[in-house]
Amino acid sequence: MSETESGGSDTLRVGDRVELTFPARGDLVVLARLVTSAISARAGFDIESLEDLRLAVGELCLLALQGSDARHGDLCLEFTVAADVIDITCTLAGAGPGSRDAEDTGEADQLSEQILSALVDEYGRTQDDGAVRAWLRKRRRGHLA
Amino acid sequence: MTDRGQPDPASVPAEEAATESDFPPLSPAERDEMITANLGLAHQLARRFLHRGEPLDDLVQVASVALVKSVDRFDPGRGVDFAAFATRTIIGELKRHFRDKGWAVRASRRVQELYLELGHATSTLAQELGRSPTVAELARTTGATEEAVIEAIEAGQGYRAASIDASENEDDPLSARLGEFDGHYDSVEDRALLGPALATLPVREQSILRMRFIEGLTQSEIAIAVGVSQMHVSRLLAASLEKLRQSIGQVGADEVAPRP
Repeated sequence: MSETESGGSDTLRVGDRVELTFPARGDLVVLARLVTSAISARAGFDIESLEDLRLAVGELCLLALQGSDARHGDLCLEFTVAADVIDITCTLAGAGPGSRDAEDTGEADQLSEQILSALVDEYGRTQDDGAVRAWLRKRRRGHLA
Repeated sequence: MTDRGQPDPASVPAEEAATESDFPPLSPAERDEMITANLGLAHQLARRFLHRGEPLDDLVQVASVALVKSVDRFDPGRGVDFAAFATRTIIGELKRHFRDKGWAVRASRRVQELYLELGHATSTLAQELGRSPTVAELARTTGATEEAVIEAIEAGQGYRAASIDASENEDDPLSARLGEFDGHYDSVEDRALLGPALATLPVREQSILRMRFIEGLTQSEIAIAVGVSQMHVSRLLAASLEKLRQSIGQVGADEVAPRP
């Protein structure tokens, strides 16, 4: 049997946590997607869920970026693997307060949230002390059943 | 107090009202309005898939068709928000579009081959497992490392190169510098027609046809192989070909030129 199935060193196990921090720029969100593929694959997600997670992480980054003047901040993604779910949190730190048109932002947020609701099991967004934090949770389907 | 909220018992049978959706089907005008009102949503969702190399127009078209589907399937009685329902449907269709789509990117040959192999392995495994396979399962099936599988899936995101009509100079599109219509498509069609017809022939005739036209043996060589006279091979070949012509003629009577 393969290493991965017997829980080899390549696999992410319950409780493992991975962090990725990169400059808060839209064109770097591709990094978030790449890392998401690699991590969710190692956490045993099927490739359809993997695609969902890739797309969802993009929206997560957008949610974190929206509403702030993110030109100088960093986006920090945190992946946590639990028994049957993966949690991904995206935090925007070090950015100035929002300067964008609130109505525009609201509409874009709504779209991102609708997309997230189509792709993941739970999601949310909080904002405290100038740090915007968006998160999602997706369950592994069928794999353990 | 009025009771406008109550349905008129004469026009709505109580039982039907309780079991069927309380919302009548949309009129054509309402349907149009609902579609038009949500085209923006379809457009924005299509944009989300833009980084994968498909032209926006195609994506918008896929999304718009999905929007029409979701308007037609939407059941307000279920208490789901239409935008959420449509988003789900449109994303599903866009994902399917990429999944079904061919591919044409400058990935290395190794990655391309693996990607094609993965497509095959994915459907086989999906049938066996009754669910979408994991990367680990794909790696085991294809004999590649998980990293390579991820790389290939990753490369597969750029399914499509730029259009051959795209060019800095509009008078000189790339397509103008490419070859002519590929006649092989015709032979593909012919083969598609021929396959089922071939299967109806007796096994011996099939193998004679195979030896003659695929392996390129002469009639005399076939005669030795099968253990009959060359004349007999000739007759069998002629008869087999005639049968094929007839069964293909039945399938595509209009497309096949009439024989004298």
